[in-house]
Amino acid sequence: MSTTGAAARRHLSPRKRARRIRFVQYAVLVLVVVLAATLANWKQIGDVFFRPSMIRTTLSQGVGHALLNTVIYTAGAFVFGLVVGTVLALMRLSEVLPYRWLATAYIEFFRGLPAIVVFLVFSLLPLAFTNFSIPFDPYGTVWLALGMVGSAYIAETIRAGILGVPRGQTEAARSLGMPPGLAMRKVVLPQAFRIVLPPLTNELILMIKDSSLVYIVGVASNQYELTKFGRELSNSNANVTPLVVAGFFYLLITLPLTVVVRRMERAAARSR
Amino acid sequence: MKILKKGTLQVCTHLPYKPFQFRDSSGHIVGFDVDLIELVAKRLKLKQETVDVDWNQVTSGAAFKASKCDLGMGGMTITAERAKSILISEPYFNATQAMLVKKGSAYKSLADLKGKKLGAQSDTTGLKYAQDHAKQYGYTIINFDDFSIEVNAVKAGTIDAAINDNGVLYSFAKDSPTTTVAVEFNTGEKYGFAAKRDDANATKLMNMLNQEITKSRSDGEYKKIYQKWFGTVPGNVNK
Repeated sequence: MSTTGAAARRHLSPRKRARRIRFVQYAVLVLVVVLAATLANWKQIGDVFFRPSMIRTTLSQGVGHALLNTVIYTAGAFVFGLVVGTVLALMRLSEVLPYRWLATAYIEFFRGLPAIVVFLVFSLLPLAFTNFSIPFDPYGTVWLALGMVGSAYIAETIRAGILGVPRGQTEAARSLGMPPGLAMRKVVLPQAFRIVLPPLTNELILMIKDSSLVYIVGVASNQYELTKFGRELSNSNANVTPLVVAGFFYLLITLPLTVVVRRMERAAARSR
Repeated sequence: MKILKKGTLQVCTHLPYKPFQFRDSSGHIVGFDVDLIELVAKRLKLKQETVDVDWNQVTSGAAFKASKCDLGMGGMTITAERAKSILISEPYFNATQAMLVKKGSAYKSLADLKGKKLGAQSDTTGLKYAQDHAKQYGYTIINFDDFSIEVNAVKAGTIDAAINDNGVLYSFAKDSPTTTVAVEFNTGEKYGFAAKRDDANATKLMNMLNQEITKSRSDGEYKKIYQKWFGTVPGNVNK
């Protein structure tokens, strides 16, 4: 009967109940792992996603160069995004109304537009402006497109950081005779960046993955980044392994990055 | 001769494949293939009707076995493999690879592209052709996933030339007069129409279609249709 069950449960001590809940959680985990392990067709998985001969092919055919290109595409875009994003954040907090409007419009526009469309527009820009070309093609195009989309997100993050710095900091700086610009640059912004370090890392990681959209602008084989590189190798061999391998190479960037940022956070916390 | 539906010539295809068959802005199915089939439809005083099916139903012959249509069209490359399962017409189109450039450009062939950028589309015959000759002519291949971006990059001038199927390039150049097809590379691919295999009735219809195509080549009708869809006259390879 259900009432006796409920009564028995009521008699459990809190510690016992906690233990029982924990037991259920472990049981679910084990069950899922066992089900996945037994139901999955491992032979098929191994052959389609992790074929050893294809892994070797991928590693020997320039995945390192593709990795380097991913880093170059992202690094340039992030620097651009950080600079523009900071300016936009300051514009959004400006006392000049048109600046606030402009920054808001920019942010809403580029945050809402799919990155792939921005890439497309920048790659075909000479259609609108004859003889105009973005330098360092296609790197310049990617830095600009990826950076502009990123800056919209980064601007909001930095704005939150600036607002997160206690007002007293500005007031103290001003009372020491610092002009507003200097107070912002020397006192508020450094503290703001410290606050937004974790969300900024997120933006960077998203950007690393968005760099996979580079294929849309048209690239030569020595300009391939990881995804395009993996896709092409996959298509020409009718096997997905190269794309999976290329995918794992993203972790090679993001995992060390996470470690570095965690160190920076700790150092920042200590210096406070 | 027997026809599946009285007064109608039913033609299976898979839409769209511009400019061979596609829906125009008023909703009609039009195109190069449609116009050629219309020649035989007119002779038999039938109304042509397009049946949109899975493409492999045409190439495997399943659509004909299921009596869905009398003929099949769709810019179909003639292969020995396909000829085993369907009856294929005489070649009606030489599907070569072609090179698109900006109008007035000095690039007349791949040999003029040394140190230049040649666009090609992923997983196409054109890309393979470009790769096979890259060493010989010393151009850089720029890889595009989308046809539309590849050809518009020529228009924008971000690449110097683009290689792709002649049909789609001619069609693009016709809509974008600042670009032009500079040269074709014969890869030996030919298009044919399809019908039911080992069927006396279908064979009779196919013979009639072959006659009409041959006749159109000699009386100028083929040239007119070609001009209409590709904005140019067929080269010698198409005669």
